[in-house]
Amino acid sequence: MTVGETQDQDSLFPLSAAYPIDRAYDEMYDRSHGVRDHYGPLQSRISTLGASELADRQRTLEQSFLLQGITFTVYGAGASTEQIIPTDLFPRIIPAAEWARIEAGLTQRLQALNLFLADIYGDQTILKDGVVPRDLVLGAPSYRREMQGLFVPHKAYANVCGSDLIRNEAGEFVVLEDNLRVPSGVSYMLANRDAAKRTFPGTYRSSGVRSVERYPDALLATLKSLASDWRSNPQVVVLTPGVYNSAYYEHAYLARLMGAPLVEGRDLVVHDNLVYMRTTTGLKRVDVIYRRVDDDFIDPLTFRRDSSLGVAGLFNAYRAGNVVIANAPGTGVADDKAVYAYVPAIIRYYLGQDAILNNVETYLCRETSQLDHVLGNLDKLVVKAVGASGGYGMLVGPHASAKEREDFAQQLKADPANYIAQPTIQLSTAPCLIDGAIEPRHVDLRPFILCGEKIVVTPGALTRVALKRGSLVVNSSQGGGSKDTWVLSDPRAQTQESPA
Amino acid sequence: MMLTRVADSLYWMGRYIERAEHVSRLSDVMLTASLDTSGDALLAARTVLGAVGETQIALEGKSAVDVAAALVLDRDDPGSVIVSLARARENARQVRDQITSEAWERLNLLFLRITAPKAAKQFDQAALPFLHEVISDLFLFKGAVDTTMSHGEGWRFLMLGIYLERAQLIVRLLDVCFGEAAGGEPLNDHLAQMNLLRMACALEPYLRVYTADIQPKLIQEFLLFNAEFPRSIQFATARIEEHLKALASPGLDQGSSAPDRLAGRLSARLRFADLEEMASQGASSLLATVNQDCARIHEAIYGAYVDYSLEHHLPG
Repeated sequence: MTVGETQDQDSLFPLSAAYPIDRAYDEMYDRSHGVRDHYGPLQSRISTLGASELADRQRTLEQSFLLQGITFTVYGAGASTEQIIPTDLFPRIIPAAEWARIEAGLTQRLQALNLFLADIYGDQTILKDGVVPRDLVLGAPSYRREMQGLFVPHKAYANVCGSDLIRNEAGEFVVLEDNLRVPSGVSYMLANRDAAKRTFPGTYRSSGVRSVERYPDALLATLKSLASDWRSNPQVVVLTPGVYNSAYYEHAYLARLMGAPLVEGRDLVVHDNLVYMRTTTGLKRVDVIYRRVDDDFIDPLTFRRDSSLGVAGLFNAYRAGNVVIANAPGTGVADDKAVYAYVPAIIRYYLGQDAILNNVETYLCRETSQLDHVLGNLDKLVVKAVGASGGYGMLVGPHASAKEREDFAQQLKADPANYIAQPTIQLSTAPCLIDGAIEPRHVDLRPFILCGEKIVVTPGALTRVALKRGSLVVNSSQGGGSKDTWVLSDPRAQTQESPA
Repeated sequence: MMLTRVADSLYWMGRYIERAEHVSRLSDVMLTASLDTSGDALLAARTVLGAVGETQIALEGKSAVDVAAALVLDRDDPGSVIVSLARARENARQVRDQITSEAWERLNLLFLRITAPKAAKQFDQAALPFLHEVISDLFLFKGAVDTTMSHGEGWRFLMLGIYLERAQLIVRLLDVCFGEAAGGEPLNDHLAQMNLLRMACALEPYLRVYTADIQPKLIQEFLLFNAEFPRSIQFATARIEEHLKALASPGLDQGSSAPDRLAGRLSARLRFADLEEMASQGASSLLATVNQDCARIHEAIYGAYVDYSLEHHLPG
C-alpha cells in the first residue's frame, strides 16, 4: 500500500454514507450530513490530512500523555503497567451563543445549590415549606449532621463543581448530574488542550478558541478568598489520598500549577485546633485545604475510624474556624441523585427563576406510582443507585439482557428508595478516530465551576467519550476516553478575552 | 521550607539515580572487558560483583551478558538497575509537584523503556548500546535537574542523596580493589586497574593528571583526594558539606552531631589526610571511617529534617 499523505484516496474524510447519522444529535454534522458552521475550519483541515498523518498525530498525542505520566496504573499479575486514559485527537467544538447559555445555567444552578446547602445546614426553611421532603435530605447518606450550624465563608459550600451535561436528541444541553463532592477530570481538560494546540495549531489559532489556562490561577484565588477575612496570605495545600489514587496525577498537577504543597494526611498534624504541616524547618500553619479525599476519610475522629488517609482532629479545627476545607464536608447531599429531581424547584425557591438548563426527566422509585412505571418500563429506562457513581450500580435497560433486568428488578423492589430512573437518552455524538477511520461516538460534557467570593465558569470542559460503538457509558472506569473541548469566543466581543 | 516527606523522597530519588548509574557503568565495563582475554573478564566480573555487594550470582558457567542482564534487569534483585530506576521514579511521582516537567519526563521515559516488555530482548541483542543509552539518559536527567530546577532546598536534598550514595559507592569500589574486601590480593594487573578507573568513570581525567602511569597508589590518591574530579570522595564530601551548610537550620540544636558539623569534619579529614600515612596504615581504615561517617550523616539528616520529634516544634 502506498502512503500518499495528501492524496485524495487516502483522505479519511468520511463520505456521507460512511458516517452514520442516527437518532442522536451529531456535534459536527446536521441531519442531512452538512457540516455545522462552527466545525468548518476543522473539517477543511482534516480533509487535507491523510489517514497515516492522522494516525501519526494520534500516536504523538498518546506518547506525550504517557511521557508526562498522565496515566493510571493497572495492577495485574506480577508487574503493574501504566495506561493512559484514551484520548481522541479531534476537538469537540461549542459555539459562543450555546456556551453563553450553558454558563448562565451553570452559574444559576451552583448559586441555588449553595443556598440550598446553607439552608439545609442552617434553618432548613426549604424543608419546613415542604418543597423538598425532609426525610429525603436528612436521611441521605451524604447528609452530615456535624455540619449543622457551622459558619462557612461566603456560604460557599461547594467550591469546585464539575457538572455533567449531555446534549439530547433535540440538540438541547441538559444537566445529568451535579458533582459537588470531589469532582475530577480538570487536569485532562488542561492536558487535552495542551495536546490539541500541538495537533491542530493553525486551526486552533484561527478558530478563536477561548483559553482554559487560567483555571489553576482561578482555583487558587477561589481557595484564598475562603480565608481572606482572617489571614492576609493564607497557606493553601492540596490534600491527596496518595500516589496510589487513580486521580493522583491530577492532584500533583494542580498543586504544581498553583504552587501549593501537595500533602497527604500523614504530613498534617492538629494541635490545639490548629492545623500544621511537617516541614524541614518545623511545623507550618495551614489555612486552606483543597481536599481530594472523600468526606468519610478526612478525619478518623469524626468520620470513618478506619481511615488512614485523613488527619485526626481536622474536623474540630474546622469547626473552630481555624482552617477551611474545600469543598465543605456534607456537600454531597446536594448532588444526591434523588435530590437532583428537585433542583428545578430548588432554583425557583431561592432565586425565583426558572432553570436555564433543564434536568433529565427523573422518576423517584421511592414514590410507589413512579416505581410501578419504572418496573413496567425497565427495557426503556436507565436505573441508577442513588449513592453510587462512576457508572457503577446502574442498569442501562435497552442494552441489558432480560435476565439482567429481572435481577435488577428484584434489587429495586427490595430497596426502592435507593433508586432513580431516567429515560435512555441518546447522548450526542462527535467524530472520533477509531482504528484508522472516522466514526461517531457518544459524548458528554463536564465543565468546571468555581465558587468562592464569586462564581467562575471556565470556558472549556472535559468531553468524555464512550469509545465502544453504540455505548452510552462515558466513565473512564468503564472504558471511556476523552477529547478537548473548544469553546469559541463571540466574534462580536473579541476584546473581552484580552487582559485588562 | 518544604514537607519532610518531600525532602525524604527527593533525597532517596538522588540515591537511587546514582546507584542506577553506577551499576549500569559497572555492567558496561564488565561486558567490554569480557571481549578481551578471559582472565581479565573474570577479574572484572569479580570486582563488579564485589562492588555491588552481590554474593548471589555464581560466575561459573555464566556468560558476562547473563551476569550483566541480572544486574540490570532482575526485578527481584533490590540492587539492580531496573529496581533502582523504579524506586527513583516512584519517589519522583511522590513529589511530582516539586520537580520540573523536563526532569520528570526524562526519568519517566527511562523508566518506561527499561520496564517495557521488549527490554530483555533488546538487552540480549545489544547489551552495550542498551547500557550506553541508560547512562546517557541518566546524564540527561541530571542535566535537566541542573538546568531547570531551582537550586533551592529541594534540589539540595536531591544532591545530598546523589553525593552520599556516590561517596559510599566509590568507597566500596576501592575497598574491593585495595582494602579489606580485597582479601589481601590488591589489584595489580594493569588492564584491571584501567578497568577500575573506567568503573569510576575516571580514566580520562586520571590520565590528564598522572599520564598513562597507572599505579594503585595514584589511583587511590585520585579517587580519594582529588578536589576537582566529581567522582572523588573528597569532591563528594565537599559538596555534602556545602549543601548541608546551605540548608536552613532545622531549628533544633543537635550540637556536634548536627549533619553539617559531621559533614564538615569528614570533609576536613579528607582534605588534610596524608597519603603517606594512609599508605603505612593501609587504605582499609580510612575507607571504613569514610563509610561510617557517611552513614552517620545520613542518620543526622533524618534526625534533623525528616524524622524529628514533634514536641520540639509545637508552640508552647
